[in-house]
Amino acid sequence: MTAPFSHLDLLEAESIHIFREAAAQFRKPVLLYSIGKDSTVLLHIARKAFWPQKPPFPLLHVDTTWKFKDMIAFRDKTARDLGLDLIVCINEEGIKRGITPFDHSPSVYTDVMKTQALKAALDQHGFDAAFGGARRDEEGSRAKERVFSFRSPGHRWDPRRQRPEMWHLLNGRLGTGETVRVFPLSNWTEKDVWRYIAREGLDVVPLYFAAKRPTIERGGQLLVLDDDRLPLQPGETPQMKQVRFRTLGCWPLTAAVPSTATDIEAVVAETLAARTSERQGRLIDHDQSGAMERKKHEGYF
Amino acid sequence: MTALTAIRPAEPAPALSQELNGILHLLTCGSVDDGKSTLIGRLLWDVSDLYEDQREMLERSGRTAGGTAHPDFSLLVDGLVAEREQGITIDVAWRYFDTATRRFVIIDSPGHEQYTRNMASGASHADVAIMLVDARHGVKQQTRRHAAILDLVGVKRVILVVNKMDLVDWSQERFRAIEADFSELTLRFGFREVIAIPVCSVSGDNVARRSEQTPWYSGPNLLDHLERIPARDTSPTGSFRLPVQTVLRDGVDFRGLAGTVTSGCVCIGDRVTDVLSGQSAHVLRIATMGRDLESGTQGQAVALQLDTDIDVARGAVLAVPDSLPTVATHIEAELVWLWETPFDERASYLMRTATDLVPISKLQIKSLLDLETLATQPTQTCALNEIAIADIALGRPVAIDAFGDNPTTGSFLIVDAVTGATLAGGVILAATTTAETAATSTFRLTREILEKGLCRDLSDDKADRDEFQRRASEAALLLRAAGVPVKLEI
Repeated sequence: MTAPFSHLDLLEAESIHIFREAAAQFRKPVLLYSIGKDSTVLLHIARKAFWPQKPPFPLLHVDTTWKFKDMIAFRDKTARDLGLDLIVCINEEGIKRGITPFDHSPSVYTDVMKTQALKAALDQHGFDAAFGGARRDEEGSRAKERVFSFRSPGHRWDPRRQRPEMWHLLNGRLGTGETVRVFPLSNWTEKDVWRYIAREGLDVVPLYFAAKRPTIERGGQLLVLDDDRLPLQPGETPQMKQVRFRTLGCWPLTAAVPSTATDIEAVVAETLAARTSERQGRLIDHDQSGAMERKKHEGYF
Repeated sequence: MTALTAIRPAEPAPALSQELNGILHLLTCGSVDDGKSTLIGRLLWDVSDLYEDQREMLERSGRTAGGTAHPDFSLLVDGLVAEREQGITIDVAWRYFDTATRRFVIIDSPGHEQYTRNMASGASHADVAIMLVDARHGVKQQTRRHAAILDLVGVKRVILVVNKMDLVDWSQERFRAIEADFSELTLRFGFREVIAIPVCSVSGDNVARRSEQTPWYSGPNLLDHLERIPARDTSPTGSFRLPVQTVLRDGVDFRGLAGTVTSGCVCIGDRVTDVLSGQSAHVLRIATMGRDLESGTQGQAVALQLDTDIDVARGAVLAVPDSLPTVATHIEAELVWLWETPFDERASYLMRTATDLVPISKLQIKSLLDLETLATQPTQTCALNEIAIADIALGRPVAIDAFGDNPTTGSFLIVDAVTGATLAGGVILAATTTAETAATSTFRLTREILEKGLCRDLSDDKADRDEFQRRASEAALLLRAAGVPVKLEI
């Protein structure tokens, strides 16, 4: 018969299966689109799952107003090219209060500008399910996540009350006030995401490729200055360095890595040879022990 | 040089850019303190493409495994804060690592009895299970419980890791005794392959390298054995099944029945049937985005366009006419109860199959599996962590298979109609269309039959009563294995 499938074929089929189950079982789903490589794969598989129809849900982006300009441009182009509805939500209240990633602790900033904004948007539109690109290989508390992750009213995550998931059966029946986060890429690794992007020839934000960028070094991490909003500390002088990103978020909170990988093949090769995990570059996760788990309790993805 | 850097592998695992050939899902289970997390941590440390910062995290922690100079490898595995603080594993954790040709998925399941439901859900995804026992304690009740759950959810390969062999002075006698106990236990179940390996996870003996402490052991070390197990079989087995998830249209003339092929394979031109409506049609197109396929094979997510528009919707199971699923209104099933709320005969339940959701009109618990003796005890109740045989009457017909024939279309969940909670997972032993046939086709193995035959040499003293019980459940198990629905009435 046919040759055995590669592990990417198996992962893709599983993700399509999850998308179709969720779309069939939930009343009003939305895809959390965060513009990065995982969202790129997520969106591509959503298109495959419902082809020849468009994915039967809009994209939602939680914009903290601190995303790289390249990310916003990529987001708008993607939605336009694919003809998909894009909802952008910004926590205006947080902006009025002057919450910034460098004046406030990462946990306060993330809570107000990401978690609160996300919860408000989900409530405002009445979404009962939100697809996210989270993977179990990212972080300790994610390793315990379900494919259908239930949130009690108020979007709280209680790891002890998660529904058991058996075989390929996905139970999406909601109790009163419950919503669900759906993770079709649960079983993918960072390496798989890049291998898949290369295989499928997908476009990603140019920040993933190495280029000369204005950087400063702070706390042992390389930051790329995307505009002039970040107050420099004494002794900090921006220097042009050949860097790229393994993960994308708010630019003052996302560390770059020195790299010469300027195309997808080089990025794949670099990722496969990497010796540190990608969340090393996410400053918010180092804020305190169990940071991600605590954020998840509060409704973060 | 610290003890840790001394044992760090000299070269990183080879990173290969090609796609890996298949995925092996590996479950680990055992009693509390048998050292599961340490074993996985050790495996990751020795052979995986573990990241440098994860190795440094272990170094920085400065924690050592109880009473030894070795680092606490379990830190690589135990993710949740509550677990790190309590030193136990409360939820299934998923880990991924690659060797040169294969993706390994490690499903680390909890040992605490109160979290058995998590173990059951983890096991249902596994191709092979590692069962850990402490060499000092051997096979315990929890080992029996876990073996029963593995069997229930369809795991066919089992590895008994006899851990902490250093604490019994690497005694061959001790190992052989545990191995013999375990063989006796597993004979009752439908496992295809069972092997026992003497191990010390903390020192890595027989984990990824042959131990010098066990010259009397000629079998493979754990990693060698794992590498030899065939990855999940993606070549088509069994008859074609495609549970329909949704119907996709292009607004013109395409109407695609979308779903994953759960077994077998289908080609263009094949005749397929929806047993629920009784209608058949030929496959015109097997569509995916980007390209059409000549055939759709087990594991592939596709959309089938048929040559006539038969009225097929979500919940239908497409199959080949010569091997159809049962259109069932009554089933006999084995259940594992997964939720704190126990079975309540007044509650409303739903049954979720591959893609269908049907109301249950009557759920009747017939017996529970006693995990101490592995005998069944007649009862009408069922609570968290218990394994039961049940009769289920459905509010409308559903397309299903016996689990032994077709696991994906032969398993289901019991869902609380009000809260939506997943209360139990189940496998179908027998499915029928009416209550009458169910009643008459089930063999009643009664006390009277047993007393006249199989058990006529037994008296009424305690030992013989136990032996009566043992023979009764053995006979019932054998009959069920042979495909005869049995009701044990003793």
